[in-house]
Formats: sequence, structure tokens, C-alpha cells
Amino acid sequence: MEGSDEILVDARGLAAPEPLERVMDALDTLGPGQTIRLLLHREPFPLYELLAERGYAHATHEDVEGNYVILIRSSHDPTAPPARE
Amino acid sequence: MSLQAGLSFDQAPPFTLPLRFFLTAPLFLLLAAALIVAAPDALAARSTPHAFALTHALTLGFLAMTMLGALTQMLPVVAGAKVPRPRLVAWLVHLPLVVGTLALMAGFLTAAPVAFGIAVGLLGFGLVVFLLAASVSLARAAHSATVGGMRLAALGLALTVVLGGALALLRMGWWTLPGVPTVVTAHIAFGLLGWVLLLVIGVAYQVVPMFQMTPPYPPALRRWLGGILFALLLLYAVAPTVLPVAASAAAIGVAGVITLFALITLRLQAKRRRKLPDVTLAYWRVGMASLIACVAVWLGARLAPDWRASDAYPMLLGILFIAGFAVSVVSGMLYKIVPFLAWFHLQAQLQARAGSIPTMKEMIGERWMRAQFYLHLLACSLLLVAAVRAEWTPAAGVALAASALLLWLNLLAAVRRFWRHGGRFL
Repeated sequence: MEGSDEILVDARGLAAPEPLERVMDALDTLGPGQTIRLLLHREPFPLYELLAERGYAHATHEDVEGNYVILIRSSHDPTAPPARE
Repeated sequence: MSLQAGLSFDQAPPFTLPLRFFLTAPLFLLLAAALIVAAPDALAARSTPHAFALTHALTLGFLAMTMLGALTQMLPVVAGAKVPRPRLVAWLVHLPLVVGTLALMAGFLTAAPVAFGIAVGLLGFGLVVFLLAASVSLARAAHSATVGGMRLAALGLALTVVLGGALALLRMGWWTLPGVPTVVTAHIAFGLLGWVLLLVIGVAYQVVPMFQMTPPYPPALRRWLGGILFALLLLYAVAPTVLPVAASAAAIGVAGVITLFALITLRLQAKRRRKLPDVTLAYWRVGMASLIACVAVWLGARLAPDWRASDAYPMLLGILFIAGFAVSVVSGMLYKIVPFLAWFHLQAQLQARAGSIPTMKEMIGERWMRAQFYLHLLACSLLLVAAVRAEWTPAAGVALAASALLLWLNLLAAVRRFWRHGGRFL
């Protein structure tokens, strides 16, 4: 499930803590200019801390179905598109 | 919509901070077991010095110890609200709770006023510090059913502490209190139902769907159940002096709330989306079954006054609630929280690449958790037998000791893996 500039991590329906582990794995495959789009049923507060530690920026919003959508990109990547929705 | 770009976060409190609570708690379980082995009358009747010491080793030393440690962690996770000055709070809560609980146990066993004095001072101080810190955090938290449940549970704990303090001063001979039995009843009701049960209910709304992939609790139940339970407890506590018939009605209401929560939880767990065996799930199921058994025993006592007046009845009720329900649910949660924290702090400290650190599931061996769960079941069963047949008391104590020791070793295994993979305890 990869677009050219977006890696989709659909972690809806996974028991905690798997979503967190999947995002961490996905970070290792993130290339320059790419974004991770994470879909979840809840807001992942602990994830924000891990992302900040590793130098990633995130933007969170709720979509119309009530899912949390978290866009993640490297905060040191000048070529990454700004996280917007 | 929030956007944070690499700004320096308040760092997560260090691993050692909640860990000190989690690694102390099983030792109090072990101490409780030692007391049962050493004092055969510990399970004989509710109001012996040994029974009081045993009860507080379990409720303060194991349950409160774990719950306070978990809350300092859970609040940021479920509500995004941090506890202020976490390092200082941990020191000011953990040590007084340890020494205060030991002093209180010594007070019950020796009747020495000085021990009660130390206990009141230290437990009062530690628990008030915790309540103040939790209040700041809960006031900041976005409202949810879980946060609402935690707020009421904190109020339940505050009432328990005040009533307990009054009873301890009474034992020191500082004053005489009118209506002591009423105060004792209220202390027990708020401690076990207004604090322990309410907190479990509030936390269940989050952790049961999150860890066990069940459907969510019904919204109406989430909105009302905690508030109704707390209102019923208030009525139950004040009614005996005002309107005795209302106390009976309140007790029936509380029994109804407990049954409803347990049955709905079991039903949600039966509908979980992935049927993988899980020790935490097994522990929760035992906990819910014990709650239902509590209500059945309580109803039986309503129908048989002779049985209600026996020494065995309150002991059975206490064992079912404290060991069967509360210790089970808390043990199950420890097996989620400690591996999670070990993984989280490793991940944060090492910024590890995928596959270079253990996953959360690998932090504690599944077989060893399962073995510890069966030991706990054995201990609960023997405790129930011992409440009726005293000759089984030492065996129950030994089983509880084995279960406590293995719980402790299992938690230590996660800490050892954290350390081996380069985790630091800063």
C-alpha cells in the first residue's frame, strides 16, 4: 500500500500496542519527501512523544467517519510537502 | 488539527518513575502471603488484628501502589494530560506509601499508638500529594468517560483516606468517635467500591477495547454508570444514621451496577475481533466472574441471616473482591503496562531500527505469565476454602506467596530485557 510520496499505515482494528510498532517500522522505510498516513480509532498520545524524540513532525485530524488521521514526515526534510488536510 | 515539528516535548517521565511502584507492589503481596502463613487466624474473622494488617497490605501495598503508579502513566496516555512535576511526585508518594503501609500493619499487629501515628502522617502526606497532582492533571484533561470515572475515583480515595485517618486516630486514643461502625462501613465502601471499582470501570472503557479489540462499551453506560455508583455509595454511607431503609435500597442498587458492569464486560470480551489467547484477558475474565460471585454471596446472605452473621461470610466477600477481582485485574494490567513502558523507553532512548529491539510481546515470556496466572487462580481458590476451613490457611498462604514471587520475577524479566538492550534508567 504505497503511493509515490505516501506510505499508508492502516492500524484500525489492531490491538494496542501493534499500531505503535507498525509506525516505528514504517519510519525506517520513509524516504526523502515521503509522508506516512496513519489511520487509527483513537488518538495516539504516546506516539507523539516518540516522533518528537526522533525528529518527525505530525499533524492530526479527525475525518468524517471519526477516524484519527495522523500525517507524519521528517521535520528535517526540506523536500517533504507540508502536512496539510 | 495540531502540528508539532520537532519541538522539545516534555519528555516522558523516566522508566524508573512508575517502575518503582510496580516492582514494590508484588513484594507487599508476598508480605500478605507471609502474614497468612505465620498467622493462621488471619482468615478466621474480619476484625482480628491480623485480618486488618492483611487487608491493608493488599489494598494499600499492592492495589494502591500499582494504581497510583499506573495513573501517573495512564493520564498522559489516555487523556493527554501530564502529571505536574512527575519526578518529585513519585518520590513524595512512593516512599511514604511504602513506609506508611508497613507502619499501619505494625500498628494493627502491635496496637502501638506510635505506629498508627507514623502511618497516619506518612499515608496522609503521600496520598494527599498524589491527590493534588492527580487533580491538576484531571482538571487539564479533556473530558471523557474515563476521565470522569477517574475524577470520581480520586474523590472516593480522598474520602477513604479521611475516614481511615479518623479511625486510626481513634485507635491511638486521641478521640472517641460517635457511630464508629458507620464510619468503618463507609471507609470500606469508598475504599473498595468508590476508589478501586470506580477506577477499574473508568479505565476499562479505554483498555478493554484497546487491548482486547472488543466493541466499545455502550455510550449510555459510559455516561451514567460511574456517577450512579458514586451517588449510591454516598447514600449508602449516610443513610444508616438518617434513613436505614435507604441504605438497603442503595446496597441493592450497587449490586445491580456491579452485575451490569461485569456482565457487559464479559459480553464485550466474548465479541472480541481477534480470538488470540491472552493472559490479561484471562485475568479480566476471572475478575469479572469474581464480581458476579461477590453479588451472589451478598444476595445469599440477605436470604440467610444466620449465614450473614457468620465469620466466614465477610471473609468470603473480601477474598472474592480483593483477591478475585481487584488483584486479578491489576495483575492483568501490569502485564500490559510494564512491557509497554520497557519497549517505549527503549524505543525513545535508542531510536532503534525495526527488529533491533524486542517487541512488547517478547518482553515477558508468555508461558511464565500463564504459569503465574494459574498460581493466582490456585491461591484464590485456596483462600476461599480457608475462609470456611481454617486448616487450609497455610496452603493458601504458600500459593499466594508463589504467585506473588512469580509476578515479581516476570516484571523483572521485562526490566532485564530493557537493560540488556541498552536501556538506561535515567
